[in-house]
Amino acid sequence: CHTAGMPTPNGKEYAQKIPREELTHLILKLLQAWKEPLSHFNQHIEHHQELPDDSLSKAKQISNMVLELKTGVEKSMGIISNSLNGMASSEATGLSISNEANMMSDSDFIHCFRRDSNKVQSYLKILKCRIMPENSC
Amino acid sequence: MKQKLTSSVHIILLLALTVASLTGQSYPGKPKIIRCRSLEKETFSCWWKPGSDGGLPTNYTLFYSKDSEEKIYECPDYRTSGPNSCYFDKNHTNRWTTYNITVMATNNIGSNISDPQYVDVTSIVQPDAPVNLSLETKTSDSIMHLLAKWSPPPLADVGSYSHVYHYELRLKPEEKEEWETIPVGAQTQYKVIKLQTGMTYVIQVRCMLGLGEWSEWSSEKRIRIPNGESPPEKPTIIKCRSPEKETFTCWWQPGSDGGHPTNYTLLYSKEGEEQVYECPDYKTAGPNSCYFDKKHTSFWTIYNITVRATNEMGSNVSDPHYVDVTYIVQPDPPVNVTLELKKPINRKPYLVLTWSPPPLADVRSGWLTLEYELRLKPEEGEEWETIFVGQQTQYKMFSLNPGKKYIVQIHCKPDHHGSWSEWSSEKYIQIPTDFRVKDMVVWIIVGVLSSLICLIMSWTMVLKGYRMIAFILPPVPGPKIKGIDTHLLKRGKSEELLSALGCHGFPPTSDCEELLIEYLEVEDSEDQQLMPSHDNGHPGKNAKVIPKETDSDSGRGSCDSPSLLSEKCRESRALPSTLRTQDIRDIQDKKGEKRSWQTQCIASEQETLLFNNENTKSSTWPAAQLPNNQPPLFAYHSTVDAHKIALSTTNVNIAPVLVGSEEKHHPQYPITESVRDDMEKQREMENLHSKTDQTTVQVKQNRPDDKSSFLNPELMDYVEVHKVRQDEEPAVLLKHKENSGKTEKYTVPGASKEYTKVSTVVDHNIIVLMPDSHIQHTSVSQEPAMEMSQNLQQGQAEKSMSYCLTVPSEFKREASGSEYMDPSSFMPSFK
Repeated sequence: CHTAGMPTPNGKEYAQKIPREELTHLILKLLQAWKEPLSHFNQHIEHHQELPDDSLSKAKQISNMVLELKTGVEKSMGIISNSLNGMASSEATGLSISNEANMMSDSDFIHCFRRDSNKVQSYLKILKCRIMPENSC
Repeated sequence: MKQKLTSSVHIILLLALTVASLTGQSYPGKPKIIRCRSLEKETFSCWWKPGSDGGLPTNYTLFYSKDSEEKIYECPDYRTSGPNSCYFDKNHTNRWTTYNITVMATNNIGSNISDPQYVDVTSIVQPDAPVNLSLETKTSDSIMHLLAKWSPPPLADVGSYSHVYHYELRLKPEEKEEWETIPVGAQTQYKVIKLQTGMTYVIQVRCMLGLGEWSEWSSEKRIRIPNGESPPEKPTIIKCRSPEKETFTCWWQPGSDGGHPTNYTLLYSKEGEEQVYECPDYKTAGPNSCYFDKKHTSFWTIYNITVRATNEMGSNVSDPHYVDVTYIVQPDPPVNVTLELKKPINRKPYLVLTWSPPPLADVRSGWLTLEYELRLKPEEGEEWETIFVGQQTQYKMFSLNPGKKYIVQIHCKPDHHGSWSEWSSEKYIQIPTDFRVKDMVVWIIVGVLSSLICLIMSWTMVLKGYRMIAFILPPVPGPKIKGIDTHLLKRGKSEELLSALGCHGFPPTSDCEELLIEYLEVEDSEDQQLMPSHDNGHPGKNAKVIPKETDSDSGRGSCDSPSLLSEKCRESRALPSTLRTQDIRDIQDKKGEKRSWQTQCIASEQETLLFNNENTKSSTWPAAQLPNNQPPLFAYHSTVDAHKIALSTTNVNIAPVLVGSEEKHHPQYPITESVRDDMEKQREMENLHSKTDQTTVQVKQNRPDDKSSFLNPELMDYVEVHKVRQDEEPAVLLKHKENSGKTEKYTVPGASKEYTKVSTVVDHNIIVLMPDSHIQHTSVSQEPAMEMSQNLQQGQAEKSMSYCLTVPSEFKREASGSEYMDPSSFMPSFK
């Protein structure tokens, strides 16, 4: 996966050890990294006639969700100034990443996306239970 | 003979058969029941083999009876077990009864019945063969043995009985024919020793339930006993699981070990790394397993796992198994399943089911999020009802039946990729039944109260039935006439009626004449009271005021219609007699009442003499016309009255009211009286006639002055007497007079009354009134005087001054309560 280069905690303990802000940053980085490849992917599969319409719409839906999620995380975490920094650095990595992403096969692409979305989900949950432990934690 | 008979019978049969066989059709052959079998003592099936079908389509029906009963049943299910079979399901199967089963084959020609088969369910039990037979060779202590494992036959319906099977195993070397059968007992595995190495063995296993039959042998399984010279077979990795998303375990299945003790090693490598690691822990999770603890577990990385079997002769590696721990999470079942009965006030009690996540799962940190699902069913039920609960750890149950027992189970799953855990242990719920008791008590109280209320109501109804009915359905009120009581009318007692009207002592006695005259003045105001000057002691009655009649249409039409004249004539004929009798009575009995009667008469006449406005027919009342607004005066229709009118010399414009001066007489009282005065009157009338046009027919006699105050002169109208005949039939002929607008309004409230003018005097002193010019009168209007052929003298006897309203109590009746007298009704009386 093109995001394999990113250092992400691989286990619960590691994830819990990381300070909150860094974790948030990580999440945003991940989301950012997927922004472009997703759009590329959507463009790519539109030409695939054999795919059912559900898949196409689902893919678009997912891309939108990723964007919204990113925006949501940013807002909820109140990270504005940091994101600028982060954006600068991630943009640079993003370019190289997206190049890689273009070369992946579709199945790999999906596999990688699945994994990374799972990562984001887990990190977000940890964050959530750290910040607001009352609700179902 | 007998022989001949039998032989002939035989011949016939043969013929029939040959014929049948020639044509190719005959009754079907006898079916045969091949087998009956029960899988688990709760259902069973029977199969039969059809006989020859005789060339025609044949139907097969299976009949059975139980034990020694007479009743015969038919097969409930012909389909489930296939063709030519009958399946008895749970409801039709009783393991304690013996079934007598027969099959009947029917075609168009005839039918044939199989031999009966006696079936005892317990003895025909034959389960399916065991499944999942697995073989394993193990060498321990240089002894090679074979471990065979299997599973009991699967049942579609587990049922409530735990079936204990007995197993039997048989094996033989591949090349040989003879089987070696080994009883196993109730276990599902067996270690076979004494096997020759290097040989391939064939193994089968079968089972039996209770006292039934053995099942079929399972499918063959071959295994080669290694002769100790070959490397082990390739193991296979069965599965890898993580219970809490922090550690995971993998299990494998070894193959045959090749005759030598074999070691198994698990090796893995991570995605993106070249390094190969060995399993950190072979023990924790049991034999043939590998446990990866937290340190060795990485997420979002793919593991490449293999198992190597090594023995002296060599080694063998299993196929690689790729696993990402994130997706292999299968939690433990939830724990601490508790039930709590909550009884809120004013609401139905409900159950709250709570549980805890499995202890290992770290839900607090949010690392692992679990979703729960529970299922419940009534204890006796068969199907589970599954309810998805979500991430909460409690559930409220409202819709359970009280008194019933339920089984509930819960399981969980990670919210993303993963698999469901096992179901938690069964939890029994018993809804207490006291709710029902409470409800019952309430209902009982309600029932008792309502029945009490019903009893009370019915009792009151019985006691005061009609009162209630009257309350609910008020009686329809009859027409109300002032002064006249319909009840009295109905009863037909004119006395009372008269008294109600205010006429007492009808007919008046002889000394009433003067009084009458006095009282003939009719007032035009409502509350006028006729003051009898000669009241002899009945002041009260005289003072009775009869209120002005207000309804102007109370049946007067009928009275006034000339068409009814005949009727009235007929009736009025009866009147005089009644009158007379009454008169006599009255006079005799009620002396003093005459006055009152008079007044009453007058008063009532006030009311009733209002001529019907609506009556389009000519009112044939011979009464003198009355001014419209005037209170009813008097229409004494007898010619006597006319006489009186004529005779009256006062200038009071009183409509000719036939004063009841006649009244003091007996039955023909008015008439006789008038007869006497006839001549006088005639003279008077002539006088009148000779006078100016405006002849005031005065009713009032003698005492105009007193009465004049009562009367409203200008309101009065009068009829000009046309002529008075004094021949044999003296009559007063009244001229037709235009009603010159004398329609002053009365102060009388109520309907405006119209008075018709006297047009003729007909038939013995009957004054026929002129119909009003503005009223369309059709009849009798312009009768010339000729018609008045009545002689005053004549008919005196019959003249009923019964124009007094009192008379016609009968009339009243038929006039339906009209307050007006219909003079026409009196007409015949004069004859």
